[in-house]
Amino acid sequence: MKVMKQLLKTFKVAFRSIYRNKTRSLLTALGIIIGVAAVIMTISAGQGATQEVQSQISGLGTNLLMISTKTEHRGGIDVRMGRPIDEKDLLMLQKNSVWMPKLSPMIANGVRAIGPQGNKSTTIYGVSSDYFDILNREIVSGDAFTVEDVKTARKVCVIGETIKKELFSSADPVGRQIRIDKVPFTIVGILEEEGKGTMGQDQDDMLIAPYTTIQNRLYGRRGGYNMIMASALSEDHIQDAEIEATELLRETHRILEGEEDDFEIMTQVELQEITGNVTGILTLILGAIASISLIVGGIGIMNIMLVSVTERTREIGTRLAIGARESDILTQFLIEAIALSLAGGVLGIVLGVLGNQIIYKTTNFYIPTAMDSILIGFGFSVLVGIVFGYFPARKAARLNPIDALRYE
Amino acid sequence: MGPKKKVIETKKISRVFNTGDIEVRALTDIDIVIEEGEFVVIMGSSGSGKSTLLHILGCLDKPSSGEYYLDGVYVNSLNKNQLADIRNQKIGFIFQSYNLLSRTTALENVELPLVYDRSGRFSNSSELAKKALEQVGLGNRIHHKTNELSGGQQQRVAIARALVNNPALILSDEATGNLDSKSSIDIADLFVRLNNEGKTILMITHEPEIAQFAKRMIYLRDGRVLTDELIENRSTKESALKDLEQTT
Repeated sequence: MKVMKQLLKTFKVAFRSIYRNKTRSLLTALGIIIGVAAVIMTISAGQGATQEVQSQISGLGTNLLMISTKTEHRGGIDVRMGRPIDEKDLLMLQKNSVWMPKLSPMIANGVRAIGPQGNKSTTIYGVSSDYFDILNREIVSGDAFTVEDVKTARKVCVIGETIKKELFSSADPVGRQIRIDKVPFTIVGILEEEGKGTMGQDQDDMLIAPYTTIQNRLYGRRGGYNMIMASALSEDHIQDAEIEATELLRETHRILEGEEDDFEIMTQVELQEITGNVTGILTLILGAIASISLIVGGIGIMNIMLVSVTERTREIGTRLAIGARESDILTQFLIEAIALSLAGGVLGIVLGVLGNQIIYKTTNFYIPTAMDSILIGFGFSVLVGIVFGYFPARKAARLNPIDALRYE
Repeated sequence: MGPKKKVIETKKISRVFNTGDIEVRALTDIDIVIEEGEFVVIMGSSGSGKSTLLHILGCLDKPSSGEYYLDGVYVNSLNKNQLADIRNQKIGFIFQSYNLLSRTTALENVELPLVYDRSGRFSNSSELAKKALEQVGLGNRIHHKTNELSGGQQQRVAIARALVNNPALILSDEATGNLDSKSSIDIADLFVRLNNEGKTILMITHEPEIAQFAKRMIYLRDGRVLTDELIENRSTKESALKDLEQTT
């Protein structure tokens, strides 16, 4: 009880002395302030980005599987390692698959689209009519193209909001014509707006058309697909679907036992894990860099505490003479260091939260201030106070009272 | 009335400092007994060992040989923490340069020894501090910061701080060294009053006119007690002020 009261009083005295030396305290704690703010902002930004990516990936549909040719990173570019995924694979899967009721190839191409309001370079995706179900993409006006459209390779397309705005202004363009690389297509539907992606890309700047049309009418190309997308029967059957696809593809690709797959299957869960890892590592690196400034801040505190011990040598001598034990002096100086870094930590938290708000206001990138980052910042500042305050405090406590009393 | 309590009893105290190869004997075979209610002054030229003796008697240092009993406690056997506690409980220090916490009120300064009290003897520290300040004539200055007070007033705050824990012994190390003659006489007079109230006081000074206020004088030379006798014709505030007038 008495000890608690004592500690509380020491804290009070320490805070009062911090307040008394406002400028010096602020400069001393600046390192901690910046460090804590940086830690909070980086961790928050990292977590914000992770959440954003994760929610976008979940938005893709939790049953999603993506089958593509195996690529390897060589000298900075992705090199295809196996034979391309093509129509033969698609037909085979459509015929044999039990766990993947919906399948769609995907062919992506950069094109120039021309509408009444102007022209724009964009990307066209050739897919099957299952595509909209697989990726949960809603049509807000008109309709998606049908199985029949795909079979007969009709020149129809669904457009994103950005295309609509830039090439057709406000009028509803369903039923109207759009020229894609000089070939006229009829617009049958408008995609629901998705907004900006994690990396800032516009997810509404796209055209979607039957893959057959793109292969037959636009390029006459009958090569491979970028990938085949599939959705599993249900979330519980993603594993089954993956195993099934692997077995079927190995058979058609005639891969012998013991040989490696020449294709890759990525499920939505794996995608989430990978991006989670990437953003997690990023957050960790940024956080580590930010915490370096906390260490620098701690050294600043140690420096000032050492100065303070020297300055107050006589006070320490007096306290020892009138009955303070070494542990009393140690506690006093330790608490002063902790109080200093704690005050810095609190200011740093305020600055960090404010910084997140400013980023939100200026860039529209919403960063929810992570609660754990506040705790980490708070805990770190106390820890820094203890670690860097201990050495000066011990120096103070070990002073010989006679020498300290004589100190000029 | 039985025999008076011995506040200080030293038996053949010596203190030797080893600085490298050279051995310096600061004190040799000091035998001193100071009883309760005494007012003793220790004099001697610089280098006579009076500071060393004061440090030992104040439990800031230990003798190299000999025995020291403070208020019945055998000090030689105490460890660092016990020494701190005994300083806190049995001794009131007064220093030449006051050694007050600056920018802190008189009251808080006087309370300081009670902050470190572990015996739990005192229940209301601010009340006690206030009383001590009244005792030294600063009852109207308790909330003043120490840097707002004159030298004489600051030394009074320091004396109040030395009184607040009701110590067995008040140790004064050149308490008037930084003060003008008039303030010095006031402080010496305050010591006399406190002594009359029953406080045991031991002071070091090199000013003969201040020493003359005490009841007994111990004179040190080369680390030994040269003389130890009662003071006749003790000064009073009036006589000292008169002398002061005549000399100026």
